[in-house]
Amino acid sequence: MTPEDELLLEQVTSAHRERHADGSIRSHPAWHDLDEAGRAEAFEATLTLRKMEAALDADGHSATVRALLNRLQK
Amino acid sequence: MKEELQTLGAMASGDAHAFARWASSVEQPLRGSLRAFAASVDTEAVLQETLLRIWQVAPRFTHDGKPNALLRFAMRTARNVAVSEWRRQGRADQQEALEQHLSAELTIAPITPDPHLREQIVKCREKLPGKPKVALEQRLVSDGTEDDGVLAQRLGMSLNTFLQNFTRARKFLKECLEKAGIHLDGELS
Repeated sequence: MTPEDELLLEQVTSAHRERHADGSIRSHPAWHDLDEAGRAEAFEATLTLRKMEAALDADGHSATVRALLNRLQK
Repeated sequence: MKEELQTLGAMASGDAHAFARWASSVEQPLRGSLRAFAASVDTEAVLQETLLRIWQVAPRFTHDGKPNALLRFAMRTARNVAVSEWRRQGRADQQEALEQHLSAELTIAPITPDPHLREQIVKCREKLPGKPKVALEQRLVSDGTEDDGVLAQRLGMSLNTFLQNFTRARKFLKECLEKAGIHLDGELS
């Protein structure tokens, strides 16, 4: 994996996702710039990262769950 | 199953924290069920969309009387969302690959928190070097509500520097946990 691809992968591991006008969730722009191997690697990195985030959170919520909770509470 | 019905009742009455607790218990198996789609769709977006749909459907959901009814429904929903996204990208001609994705084996069971992991990762976090530590903290406090570019700017870093520091933090934590005998790769628990 090139250094450029590693930066793309790291962006994809974020739980931040923009919305379409209808409120549905958009793919991360960096995900589209990764090749198939990079996308698979980003998936595994995200899986591991979410377990870490949940373990570090007092309520046991990953960034994915916290992002959704924030959205529901707005 | 009594607990599951109580959770469903709370979600149906609009309790977002009950939803978050349920979502935390099913996130790993749900995400794992999307592994076969990882190269074809952004599974983070698919997972968030799936969970939002479950929240919206909860007041009308009819429990079938069997364990993990909502998780089973969520897994079907996740696959439907993934397939819709796959088709939206114009990949409908790749029917054989899609069928392989859909035949992938699923693990249907919620996950309970691991107190040993929690204890160890807090120790590992304390050992993180300065800049990787602040990059990790920014991601954690942002709760997925802000783009990495915004987080980098807040720290006075370029986006690339922020991402490099975050990579160092993620890898440091993983290696620190492995030294404590905790291997998170590839497992669902």
